[in-house]
Amino acid sequence: MAMALRESGLQSLGLGGVLEVFARGQLPATASDLVTEVFGPQKARGSLVISGANGMVGAGKAMQLGARLLPFGVRVVGLDFPGAPDGIGGQYPGLVSTFGKTRAAQIMANIVRLTYDGRTLPPELGDLKPAFLLEAIPEILDVKKAHYKIFRDAFPGVEIRSVTSGFPASELGVGIAHPAFPHQINKVWEIVEPKPSPITQLLWALGLVPVPVGDHWSFVLDVLFCGLTHAAILYHRACNMPYWKIDKWVRKLIGPNPFRAHDVIGAQGANFLTWSCLHHLAEHYGELFRPTPELEARKDSGSDWYPPNHFRPVVDWKLETRELEDLETWILGPLFQMTSLLLHERRAELPFINAVGELCAQFRKGVLALVRDVGADQARERVAAYHRVHPAAGERAWHPEAFETIEQPAGQQLYVNAEHNGEVGTIAIGRESYNGDVDVELNRAVDWLKKAGVERVIVTGDFHLATQMVGADTSEFYPALERTEEGIRVSETWSRTARRLATDFKTSVAFVNGKRCLGGFLELLMHCHHLVSVEDADLGMPEVTLPVVPGLEGCHWPFRKTSADAWPKLLRLLLTGRSVKARDGVPWLVDFAGPMDAALQMAWRLATGEESGVRRRSLVESPLEGVADAPGELPAADSPATEAARRAILESIRASCAAPLGDALSIQARHSAGFMVSEPCLKGVIGSDYAKTMKI
Amino acid sequence: MPAAQSMFPNARIPYGTWGSSFFPAWQTSALAEVNIAQFAGEAMNRILGKRRVSTDRLDYLIIGSTVPWHWKFWNAPLVSSCVGRRLPGFHVEEACATGLLATLAAGAEVQMGAAEVVGVLTFDRTSDSPVGVFPERRAYQRTVPLADVWDNFGFDPATSGAMIATAGKAARKYKVDRREVDEVALLRHEQYFAARESGALDNVLVPLDILTVQGRPLGRIDDDLGVRRITAGELAAMRELDTCVTGGTQTHASDGMATLLVTTPEKAKEISARPEVDIQFVAKSEVRSAPSLMPEAPVIAVRRLLDRTGLSMDDIAVAHSHNPFAVNDVIAARVLEFDWRDMNKTGCSLVWGHPQGPTLTRTLIEALEEAVALGGGYVLIFGCAAGDVGTSALFKVS
Ligand SMILES: NC(=O)c1ccc[n+]([C@@H]2O[C@H](COP(=O)([O-])OP(=O)(O)OC[C@H]3O[C@@H](n4cnc5c(N)ncnc54)[C@H](O)[C@@H]3O)[C@@H](O)[C@H]2O)c1
Repeated sequence: MAMALRESGLQSLGLGGVLEVFARGQLPATASDLVTEVFGPQKARGSLVISGANGMVGAGKAMQLGARLLPFGVRVVGLDFPGAPDGIGGQYPGLVSTFGKTRAAQIMANIVRLTYDGRTLPPELGDLKPAFLLEAIPEILDVKKAHYKIFRDAFPGVEIRSVTSGFPASELGVGIAHPAFPHQINKVWEIVEPKPSPITQLLWALGLVPVPVGDHWSFVLDVLFCGLTHAAILYHRACNMPYWKIDKWVRKLIGPNPFRAHDVIGAQGANFLTWSCLHHLAEHYGELFRPTPELEARKDSGSDWYPPNHFRPVVDWKLETRELEDLETWILGPLFQMTSLLLHERRAELPFINAVGELCAQFRKGVLALVRDVGADQARERVAAYHRVHPAAGERAWHPEAFETIEQPAGQQLYVNAEHNGEVGTIAIGRESYNGDVDVELNRAVDWLKKAGVERVIVTGDFHLATQMVGADTSEFYPALERTEEGIRVSETWSRTARRLATDFKTSVAFVNGKRCLGGFLELLMHCHHLVSVEDADLGMPEVTLPVVPGLEGCHWPFRKTSADAWPKLLRLLLTGRSVKARDGVPWLVDFAGPMDAALQMAWRLATGEESGVRRRSLVESPLEGVADAPGELPAADSPATEAARRAILESIRASCAAPLGDALSIQARHSAGFMVSEPCLKGVIGSDYAKTMKI
Repeated sequence: MPAAQSMFPNARIPYGTWGSSFFPAWQTSALAEVNIAQFAGEAMNRILGKRRVSTDRLDYLIIGSTVPWHWKFWNAPLVSSCVGRRLPGFHVEEACATGLLATLAAGAEVQMGAAEVVGVLTFDRTSDSPVGVFPERRAYQRTVPLADVWDNFGFDPATSGAMIATAGKAARKYKVDRREVDEVALLRHEQYFAARESGALDNVLVPLDILTVQGRPLGRIDDDLGVRRITAGELAAMRELDTCVTGGTQTHASDGMATLLVTTPEKAKEISARPEVDIQFVAKSEVRSAPSLMPEAPVIAVRRLLDRTGLSMDDIAVAHSHNPFAVNDVIAARVLEFDWRDMNKTGCSLVWGHPQGPTLTRTLIEALEEAVALGGGYVLIFGCAAGDVGTSALFKVS
């Protein structure tokens, strides 16, 4: 019987735990089985119908699902009104740039486009055997319901899901699959169903991220997104700050730019959707959500929130301390109140409530991580301050006690879960970039396993929220751009955590299950005794391109695990920033790479200590000599900054490799932190992001 | 305080909801780089934000400016979009009397009941003023280019004289002594710097940060650039450009904006941070002097104003004027029989320059602040304007 720190994302989809995946040596479901379950057997495959297929959502999802269903012979039917602007055609250039001309043409050719008058379904539809209707027509309750009726009348067995932004399933009479912008690429779908259906599992098997949520108005995403927009408008009303500048402050505070998001999505549609969500939320939860005249007007006019190009702002808004305090009250107050509502109604598992903001609404940290940071009492005080300036909001939908739930394991382990069966444990990371929170949670997961006496562990992505591992969350480095001590602290802290993977277990196996594993995450996983990967994952150290100097021991740890003849390959990895396919990284970087099932089985064998044929590479603890002597011929650096970073990385490699293992940790930390305050880094990707986001 | 009837009994200026940019001299600041109307709109929004007045409260906007700006055709509605609201409204223009005219027009709107909260927004950019090209079939050149600010200053078509010549002529008519004019100019500078140092202008002047088109800092407008401390010796040494007019005894062109609100007595109490302060419109008078005697026109206007209201200069608590020439103040004091030391106590346009549209708005705001600090009384505002016009108005602060 497996024990878990908290429920895994997979379990919420009815797909079991992460440990089970490894123990069974295969993924819990395959796309081909699920396609058959949803669309029927190969010979009699039904089709996916997307209604409103020329719309913002319809066209995007026709591409996202069309590309993924093509190999399974599922036709996509795009249904819309005659005369609707050609949204599907507009997707073609994007398809070409992602897939190339041939694939793009195939994906397009697989889409059957039909038009009708909205009342009588086109007769050809029958031949295409609609099995699943994804409804993406306008957000008007009666129109949607009438639409389901004509489909059910014509095709009684058809499965229907609505992409609605806000209507609960109980109002619509169909399940919800609410996707997040931008629709071609965002993988997250909020799902409302009595229990996880094959459709939801299929989305997962196709590499998407279905997230079960409760059946409440606007679910999780649009409470946060629309609610934050509303908060920002109320702040505007309180102090006149123009929307563009509020965006900058909100971005600095928590990450999103709510107004820019509306303009980018298309103000005409987005203003209406935000209004619609807020309007219905206000009916149920009161003034916390009541649309203001500004939004009412923009719903009708469809006007942008940002000034036109020829009126790019002239007067800036610096804030004095008192004004800054006001801003935080007006923005964080309602945000925390909304969070209390989401928790009180338990609108989703806590990690999901948290992740939705990060994955779909640009939050640097999810709302629960934010509340966790400030503490429940501070959060309550913020809300109280908000109610002092906007008393009506406090009359309803305020659940101060709900913050207590964050104390539960699911609230403490938002990003990192662990499971074990007494012998072997898994640590599953559900965040694509590594940050301080992940670090703390990872330590707790290690502690939990150790407390249970587990000595064998597999460290992996969570097979759900994290579809890849892209490295360190660079926004965590902002303070380090100004203070070397801060860079040293982050590097040393994270490196010490990484070392626990090498020292705290008898056997540790890193498993790369997604498309890529880069930078800080690769450095972290290198610390495991074994690194197993699906064969076509990209593994790389792109730090040099940012540029930064790797600070999670990437500059010496991997050298200590390979023979000298492989060092030039590691140097290339570090100095060019170019990734390698996992299969090409064997054996100098990766211990085993293979297809998913084989990789899962190998990880399990290594973890359990069964015969695997893969030898554990030893770690040389004494100083290494001559590591950086022969980087070989490198392609010319593309800028002076890259050149400077290469030099700095080489120096870090030299110094940390030349030291005994015990000293190397802080030596590489000093090199990494030292470069962080240098000109090339400050002018590079992180420095510019920092300036753009924080120095406003 | 002797009673004088209010001309707009239903209109008030809500205390403290006003503000002005600094007035940097022309071509010295980032204001030379911007569309001044857009700047003014955004600055008004910022100022009201600082004063904690939501622009949502406005229902009308009167703008005043004299130098044409890009998209001027679109008038107050466009500027209100820059404030962040979609308001109707109109534009007024009366050379250097524009600020006062706009304020009075707002009073009239409120008095009429046509609007409840009227924004008054005045601005001008004398830097890089536009050049108009006029097809003039009767002119020998056939097509006449005209640089808006300087060509106009240099030539009054009605008299064929330059602006500066009116000061010289008035000085000769009143037999003004150059030494007295220099003394006025010196004192005005001292008054200005004393006011800045004492913080008396802190509720008037708002520093503003200007952005480039890429959104990066272009400059901070936090000083009346071009104003410098001057000595009696320096003033005396200056070359006369016309009788009693030197570089030190006349104003300079500058850029800027100034804004205030006009509303009903009830709303004024709601909007103002000090609802107990009541500011009323009492009277206005405007005249035109004999040709090319512009500096005496304001005095004639004030005389008429006092006659009409039955008040004397002794009843005036605070007097401020737009005085492009120090000669103006000497003539005013002589004709109205009062000491020129008793007016323009926080500074004046002679010192901080002259962006035209907002000049009298800033003058008025400074005067009202001074009156509030004194505990109330009548506030007299007067000044001259192109075309030998004199304007004056009286407000009551209680
Ligand atoms: N825009 C977003 O980012 C977003 C995000 C998540 C969910 N949604 C939801 O997606 C749905 C559609 O929104 P949108 O933004 O794509 O709107 P849209 O206006 O861009 O597209 C709607 C499309 O539906 C078509 N249509 C209208 N009635 C139809 C009918 N009866 N049958 C077939 N086609 C019909 C229209 O011609 C149009 O092409 C809404 O429920 C909205 O809440 C939108």
